[in-house]
Amino acid sequence: MTLPDILQLWNDAWPAGLTMLGLGFGFAIVLLIASEKLKVAVDPKIEQIQKALPQIDCGACGFAGCASYARAVAQQPDLIGKCAPGGAEAANKIAQVLNLQISDSGAPKRPIIHCRARTQDKTFYAEYQGILSCTAANALPNVQACKFGCLGYSDCTEACRFDALHIIDGIAIVDYEKCTGCSACSRACPRNLIEMVPFNHENMLSVACSNNENGKTTRSMCRVGCIGCGLCVKQTDLFSVENNNARIDYAKYQPTEQTETAVNKCPTGVIVYCGKSAPPPRMPKQKTAPASH
Amino acid sequence: MDTLSILLAGFISIVIVNNLVLTKFLGICPYLGVSGRIDMAFGMGMAVTFVVTLSGTLTWMIDHWILILPGLEVTRYVCFILVIAGAVQLVEMYLRKFFPSLYESFGIFLPLITTNCAILGLCLFINLWAIDNLLEAVVLSFGAGIGFTMAICIMAGIRENLNLADVPQCLKGAPITLITAGLLTLAFMGFAGMIR
Repeated sequence: MTLPDILQLWNDAWPAGLTMLGLGFGFAIVLLIASEKLKVAVDPKIEQIQKALPQIDCGACGFAGCASYARAVAQQPDLIGKCAPGGAEAANKIAQVLNLQISDSGAPKRPIIHCRARTQDKTFYAEYQGILSCTAANALPNVQACKFGCLGYSDCTEACRFDALHIIDGIAIVDYEKCTGCSACSRACPRNLIEMVPFNHENMLSVACSNNENGKTTRSMCRVGCIGCGLCVKQTDLFSVENNNARIDYAKYQPTEQTETAVNKCPTGVIVYCGKSAPPPRMPKQKTAPASH
Repeated sequence: MDTLSILLAGFISIVIVNNLVLTKFLGICPYLGVSGRIDMAFGMGMAVTFVVTLSGTLTWMIDHWILILPGLEVTRYVCFILVIAGAVQLVEMYLRKFFPSLYESFGIFLPLITTNCAILGLCLFINLWAIDNLLEAVVLSFGAGIGFTMAICIMAGIRENLNLADVPQCLKGAPITLITAGLLTLAFMGFAGMIR
């Protein structure tokens, strides 16, 4: 390209550039005037609240995202503390912005899974070859013997945005280091196995079974199911047995020596610790092996 | 034909016969996205009508009074998009100030009017059909907005009733919406060739 060519190009191009520049400048002035005339005053508190929130738009608070929760909480301060991932820290910051005194907002909620049966602990009547999702597998009766237990097809791990849930040996395991408590997994599970529990200790006890059938039937299809024997209830009133299934009253959760005894006495080892430094669950005794089918 | 009948024919043509949504398949994104409820659809239609009238008029003026003189027709697309984006900004600020609830319910679709192809489409069609009269350009732009509003409101009305209908499981949601849109387009094909 020679110099005259470049000059020719420049001569062709400059009117276009100038016109665009002029037009753009004209619109910029119009918009500038409009933005001054039509200014909407936004409450500075809303912006500050939004900064205190984790900005992950997980929806645990029940609003569409962090921005809409910030607007709602500025108007109705009693909505404070709904942010599960932010927890007490975010609640305290919001309280500072809104000039509120809050009492202890309670322990952060974390999921526990009411099943601990690995693939080798379960009994199957048939082989499932359908869509690899729990919702689809749940619609088919009698593939997995236990109608209550974890199916292990990853609906909860797909719902988790924080990589805090993994299917290991056919059972969902929570990684409590990564979990933010947004309860997306609890909503995703078609069998409602995941319960959100206030973790007021680092490791919490849970009954890792939700089978409602009687002890004999449960034992025939799972090595680690709760048989509803009530040995734990005899130790401490923290436990109760409903529908052949032991439950823990988390409102009065306080580990004592008796609860430790209950954990050790449980014949199928279904009472397990969950949490960041939980000891590995007790392996089932050989004598509880299922009857062969 | 006198001016009035030309304008009337142009208006009817752009609203019914050459409806941008139903015969040119432009602006399908908000047509399917915001047609869940009639009140929202009508609000969207009004916003698009405002933007398309403003930008259609402005682009005609810019095209005829500025761009043609130095022979800069090539920059038409850039200029038109500039006008449309500016007009959308204006509408957004106006709605935020005076109709906050409408602003909330539009959400992402309001800035998306910028990329609504019906609007750029109309600005280019006015040029393609060689409209050389400012008044006719204004009427056509306004008619395009009214046509869009009509199409999206009809669609929203049908979809509101569709919620109560017994749709087969496999067609629920998007498929039945697309089938409805197709049938609606077929119905409007009956007007084809009436004017122009």
